[in-house]
Amino acid sequence: MAEFGEIVDGTFVLSPAQVESRKYGFSDIKVSGIPTIYHAGDVVNLPYTTGETSTIEAIGLAWSAFSSGVGPG
Amino acid sequence: MAKRSGSSFGSFNKTQDFSTNKVLPIRTEFSQGSVPDSIYSANRESAWSRWRRGFEIYANSLYDEAYSYAFDYAIPLPPGVVLPPGARGPRIPGICQGFPTKNKELGMQWAGVRIGGSLRFDNLRGAGGVAAAIKSVAEDENFWYVSLEGGWSATNPLPPPLFIPPVIVFGQVIVPKQYPINGEILEDRVVEIGGSPITAASIDPDTQKRFGYIQAVLVETDEVNGILKLQKLGSVEATPDGVFQTPAREDPHVGRFFITGTRYCCSCQDFSRRDYYYMSQLGTTNKKAFPRTSVATLRPGRFEIMTGTEGDPNEVNNNAMTSAKLDRQMEIRSPSAKYNIPPTITPNSSTVRGTTRDNPGVFRSFGGRYLRNNPLPSLEGAVAEGPPLYRDYKTVKNEDGSYTITELTDFWSPLLDEMRYCKHIYAMKFAEKVFPPEPSDLPVAMGSIADWERDLVNKTNQENKSAVYELSVRGLSTMDVPPYNCQSPMMMPMFQKLFNIPSTFVLMNGFTMYDKNGKEYKPSEGERPET
Repeated sequence: MAEFGEIVDGTFVLSPAQVESRKYGFSDIKVSGIPTIYHAGDVVNLPYTTGETSTIEAIGLAWSAFSSGVGPG
Repeated sequence: MAKRSGSSFGSFNKTQDFSTNKVLPIRTEFSQGSVPDSIYSANRESAWSRWRRGFEIYANSLYDEAYSYAFDYAIPLPPGVVLPPGARGPRIPGICQGFPTKNKELGMQWAGVRIGGSLRFDNLRGAGGVAAAIKSVAEDENFWYVSLEGGWSATNPLPPPLFIPPVIVFGQVIVPKQYPINGEILEDRVVEIGGSPITAASIDPDTQKRFGYIQAVLVETDEVNGILKLQKLGSVEATPDGVFQTPAREDPHVGRFFITGTRYCCSCQDFSRRDYYYMSQLGTTNKKAFPRTSVATLRPGRFEIMTGTEGDPNEVNNNAMTSAKLDRQMEIRSPSAKYNIPPTITPNSSTVRGTTRDNPGVFRSFGGRYLRNNPLPSLEGAVAEGPPLYRDYKTVKNEDGSYTITELTDFWSPLLDEMRYCKHIYAMKFAEKVFPPEPSDLPVAMGSIADWERDLVNKTNQENKSAVYELSVRGLSTMDVPPYNCQSPMMMPMFQKLFNIPSTFVLMNGFTMYDKNGKEYKPSEGERPET
């Protein structure tokens, strides 16, 4: 079972050589470090439990509040 | 077809002669709506051109993800909603992906991705606390009608954000009912409450076969009966054989829960259908109207400005970036004019009587959207890239025979599977390893396509090199960077669409960024990435 917030499905895979040789396009500028933690096409595991406010509920609250002329608290 | 040359008005555009020496930027809209345009010209406006260029961008520069800004966005809660101690707050994971460009003085086009699975239906509860699983599925030729568990009725309608009830004061509808989630891509990938979303490779332990799932776009919501209408057209199925096929042959699976799919938006001129003017070439007065476009190409609509400075919350502030401690508001202006459209623009962009029209010189269109909406007879379920249909308003007929516009439908919505992508989104689809279908509006009568592609490859290489050089020697100090630019005129509408929340809920302090080593930092608290 994946943990909360973990990526469970991703197709963006960089080879070690790509990670090693990261650079800005064709420039000579290099960058170190690992690439971003999220990628296009990833699927995240965000299971909220009872009592928590899930993302979908928060979006619902935001739209409902806005509809009534209320902004964020 | 006779064409008037030398004019730039309407559909009388001068036909563009094709030359392999001219791999020109896409500055115009999708095809002009006439087949001859596609035949006579290289058709820079074609979806195929965007698809091909997107692949080139992906192949050329995206593989190293040098300009990816990953973030988690904490959705602010309305007053009175308090999280219990220790509770995990609602958040939206995403990425801002930068594409170096020569066509923007700040050197970068920013596209956004909201990660799939951000919204889950196992967190929605109906009567008796029953979770909103798929109860049953009916279908016709074009749609699935998915009934959700929860005992939904007129007194217990589907909850927000599937359905936002109207605001009624003294019997009058002040804000009409809304369906913010319509247009989202839904996937039946959660098998049990709280479970991880399955993948195309996940195996059902009971049957020892792959689960499989489907992806489809939500087009309508019946809040009273708890029914979601999903579109078969453009749907995708991950089959038990572990392959993807479109359209899906299976129905959504009863007993599962939906999640939302990956969502894309882009702030480039092509996707947002705005023109870009170099700020340095605009006078001080005109800067407030940035971005802008010519009056001749405007259609009914609205425009947005950003307001808020350190000293005056109402002052126009259209800067590309601001302090991470300053929040600006997006104002939608509908200036007074002789057009009879009403004063209120509601959050879903439908209108009530009394507002007005576009602000000349700012927007080309009120969020017009081009759909792939023509069935392709030769291939069942496929859709051709045909001439666009314009569907951006509805009218009612008045007693005197005149018509009043009652709704400006903001079709610039995230219904991306129904929407023509810009080349940046195509590039990200390629990066996603989802090979987007090749659009069928391949330019014809354009000479050697091999020559064109060869020049495209060379030009993309050269321009990318040049853009990155320009960026590194002069642009990095001025480049707009997420999240500092999230409330700029180009980016705020994109984030609002990407997150699918009202713009007032897009705040600086919601952004937690991740640096190149995956370490968190919050710009609003003065934190910075490690160097």
